[in-house]
Amino acid sequence: MSRIGVFVCHCGENIARTVDVEKVAAEAARLPGVAYATDYKYMCSDPGQNLLKNAVAEHRLDGIVVAACSPRMHEKTFRNAAKSAGLNPFLCEMANIREHCSWVHEDRDEATAKASDIVAMMVARVKKDKRLVPITVPVTKRALVIGGGIAGIQAALDIADAGHQVVLVEREPSIGGHMAQLSETFPTLDCSQCIMTPKMVDAANHPNITLHTYSEIESVDGYIGNFQITVRKKARSVIEEKCTGCGVCSAKCPQKKIPNAFDKNLGTRPAIYVPFPQAVPNTPVIDRANCTWFKTGKCGVCQKVCGPGAIDYEQEDRLIVEPVGAIVVATGFELYSITEKPKGSPIKGYGEFGHGTIPDVIDGLTFERLASASGPTGGKILRPSDGREPKQVVFVQCVGSRAREKGISYCSKICCMYTAKHTMLYKHKVHDGQAYVFFMDARTPGKSYDEFWRRAIEEEEAVYIRGMVSRLYQKGDKIVVMGSDVHVGVQVEIEADLVVLATAVQPRAGADTLAQKLGISYDSYHFYSEAHAKLKPVECATAGIYLAGACQGPKDIPDTVSQASAAAAKVMTLFAKDELEREPIVAKVNEKNCVACLYCKKVCPYGAVEEKEIRDRQGNLIRVVAYVNPGVCGGCGTCQASCPSKSVELDGYTDEQIMAMIEAL
Amino acid sequence: MTPAKKLLSYSYYPGCSLHASAKEYDESTRGLFKALGIGLKEVPDWLCCGATPAHNVDELLSLSLCAKNLSLAEGVEGDLAVACAACFSRLKVTQHHLADNETKRKQVEYAIAGAVNLQKPVKHLLEILAKDFGLDRLTEAVQKPLSGLKVACYYGCLLTRPPEVPELDCVEAPTIMERVIGAVGAETVRWSHRMECCGANFTLSRPGVVLKLSGSILDSAKAAGADCLMVACPLCHGNLDIRQKEIEEATGERFGMPVFYMTQLLALAVGVAPGKLGFDSMIVNPLPLLKEKGLV
Ligand SMILES: Cc1cc2nc3c(=O)[nH]c(=O)nc-3n(C[C@H](O)[C@H](O)[C@H](O)COP(=O)(O)OP(=O)(O)OC[C@H]3O[C@@H](n4cnc5c(N)ncnc54)[C@H](O)[C@@H]3O)c2cc1C
Ligand code: SF4
Ligand code: SF4
Repeated sequence: MSRIGVFVCHCGENIARTVDVEKVAAEAARLPGVAYATDYKYMCSDPGQNLLKNAVAEHRLDGIVVAACSPRMHEKTFRNAAKSAGLNPFLCEMANIREHCSWVHEDRDEATAKASDIVAMMVARVKKDKRLVPITVPVTKRALVIGGGIAGIQAALDIADAGHQVVLVEREPSIGGHMAQLSETFPTLDCSQCIMTPKMVDAANHPNITLHTYSEIESVDGYIGNFQITVRKKARSVIEEKCTGCGVCSAKCPQKKIPNAFDKNLGTRPAIYVPFPQAVPNTPVIDRANCTWFKTGKCGVCQKVCGPGAIDYEQEDRLIVEPVGAIVVATGFELYSITEKPKGSPIKGYGEFGHGTIPDVIDGLTFERLASASGPTGGKILRPSDGREPKQVVFVQCVGSRAREKGISYCSKICCMYTAKHTMLYKHKVHDGQAYVFFMDARTPGKSYDEFWRRAIEEEEAVYIRGMVSRLYQKGDKIVVMGSDVHVGVQVEIEADLVVLATAVQPRAGADTLAQKLGISYDSYHFYSEAHAKLKPVECATAGIYLAGACQGPKDIPDTVSQASAAAAKVMTLFAKDELEREPIVAKVNEKNCVACLYCKKVCPYGAVEEKEIRDRQGNLIRVVAYVNPGVCGGCGTCQASCPSKSVELDGYTDEQIMAMIEAL
Repeated sequence: MTPAKKLLSYSYYPGCSLHASAKEYDESTRGLFKALGIGLKEVPDWLCCGATPAHNVDELLSLSLCAKNLSLAEGVEGDLAVACAACFSRLKVTQHHLADNETKRKQVEYAIAGAVNLQKPVKHLLEILAKDFGLDRLTEAVQKPLSGLKVACYYGCLLTRPPEVPELDCVEAPTIMERVIGAVGAETVRWSHRMECCGANFTLSRPGVVLKLSGSILDSAKAAGADCLMVACPLCHGNLDIRQKEIEEATGERFGMPVFYMTQLLALAVGVAPGKLGFDSMIVNPLPLLKEKGLV
């Protein structure tokens, strides 16, 4: 006869409000095999855990059911308590009477009856629990960082400084991300290049960092501590080891008129190019779609002029396999555009702003390039259409953000601040110019942020108009901005020379595809989801994968850097151990019964099932059976549900246990 | 063998204006459809849709009027063709609104003593011409191309709005009018006030507002080099054509800008006799312009 202990938790009032916990404990005490049952206000507290430990000794318990919250919340807590009381931790189970019962029901009697049922089921299951021993797996102390913006660079540097190897993968030819495009940064107005480029150089020169630029993640296999990453290094057409970065090729390339995306197409670049002069690495790449050689087979100028012979037109994509133990995802954001969207798309464009056809209506990043000393105008604010200096500039906030009817309901968080910054940068460069800002609210929570915004109004004389803009249209060489001033209650019309739209921050296009490769979750906008909004803000629900920067939600630089360092700290915590303990909830094959139909191999989402040959002493092949690699098994039970001969079972969730639970109902 | 061309036929809801101040819209619609071989059968006993005033006063009244019309239309075969932008918008809004509001639907069904017809496709003439009939066939039917005529297409507020409801075209930057009139050879101008409000039913209560709003529409069409305006709504037509003189007096600017219903221009292009298109009932006389362009 078993001696099970049942502990019913009140969870303050969370459970006790709707469930009669005393009654549940009293009914549990009457179940066959239960030696002790009680209730307590907070089981997870120190006295609660002591109650459990003392009861194990006093009542010689050989199994425990804690009826409380979800096992995701506290299973670990109570298994540790059971362990310290000398019990095998896997003989302690949780009955979830909070999320599955008290939180979702109103009727006290019905909820109480259901709670008792849940407890009875778990008692039935615990009686058939086996003592399990955790599986240990070695940890590969090498990290992968995806995305080389400020988030990825910071995380990579922190992990590398702690003495671990880091593989940094960046999609573009250079690292740097958006921060490399910015001019000066709020709230201190220090130059972005000056604080960013040294970090880029540090990352490239760090002995512990392997940098793969112009590369993407092809596939991801494995699990925490033991991932196998395949990286696709796209053909650069330039041999990195040979190139000295002299730039002769770019200077001589006859294709000069290709719009430079880094400069938001305000400037041009050749077909063989580095995106910006401070690029890291300073190795050019041939844009094959625009290169004469690749289009017509003629030209070859760069190959002729390149001294070290670094140009290789035959180069192909290469696949590189990198074993790593942890992954930091830092793929950042992109800006929403007001252009027309495909029919049926939940996100809409702005026809009322001309769908992006008015040349002097630009977005914030374009303004950053205009204001940047290393930008296409050398830091002069000039209109894209005619190169004139604009004397009246209208800034429009919340374009695409906080606009449910346009498909995005969240606040992009950074635009109130960068718009205030833009008005200042403008005033510093065009002293007789006037900046106007249309805004819904000014959201400036952050150290020295509100002071910064006030400065834009009080010292730099930006005129803030509270209200929305309904239409923008070209009239002669002016842009008419029609809006409302809700404080005064009038309609406003401003004839502007330049209009700057603070467009929404969105995840990168394709963020969902990468998430599917990594097996991490994302929200309806494709921002990556953290495991817990408050307590696990940098961890993914998938073990061993962490998040940093704007890929998780809109963020400014201070928030991005903090999160990147936090993600790095999590990686270092993981790497502090040589071996990882994994839950022994894995599938086992009964080799006697297995008929090797290998259906389980087809359905296993983790690829954990292999074929195993059984041979006699002479080495003759007798049979083939399925084998589950316990290091890879994710414990999902899919194989168990699909095996036609019932030859594979998950420890802790055997058919016998499940049947016992059903019978207890 | 080429497949036989589909014979199109519609039930038709003209609305009050087309039987009164906008007779020429009705006449030209019938003329155009006849010339194109598209059937048009008027819904018997239809009533006023309530247009913009009704839903400002009593929502239930406005929904019930439209619901009644929809149920009357049930008896006539074919999708429901609507010419007036206001009727079109109200009928669509009614279907949209009652489809996901059961309480209101029950109230309305009580009021009209019958079921609401949520299924009948309600189509604006533009949609019928551009999508069902097709722009290629429209071009084929042309006898007198409108080449040389510079048209400013004016949508007004209601053709595409409220968003998600009429689904005629892009809400804020539609092109359907330009595509349709372009198919018969007219030149369309790019201009800024295609979607601005003309003042609509403030025409009697706050004429000052109308003069300002409609004035800026005429102003911007003229600045864009248009010879004329083309509209698909009797309310817009009233403000822009009938009040044009008044606007000229108030602003001191001369426009002399004829305001056509879309069907007048289309019918002219496919060979309907000018005498049947109601040009003589327009306040700003279009004949000098049409003569100059060699169209009459
Ligand atoms: C107009 C504007 C002005 C701003 N001004 C300021 C300011 O003054 N102060 C401030 O604090 N913040 C400012 N910000 C915010 C700042 O830009 C962000 O906080 C910061 O860039 C976020 O960094 P990140 O690394 O998360 O993302 P990103 O900078 O977007 O970097 C992501 C990187 O990942 C790479 N990547 C993406 N997908 C993949 C993939 N699948 N595989 C490999 N690599 C990939 C990208 O190429 C990129 O290099 C501003 C933002 C804007 C738009
Ligand atoms: S081969 Fe291509 S990249 Fe090289 S110089 Fe010619 S056009 Fe430029
Ligand atoms: S940060 Fe400011 S401008 Fe940006 S979406 Fe939020 S409220 Fe609007």
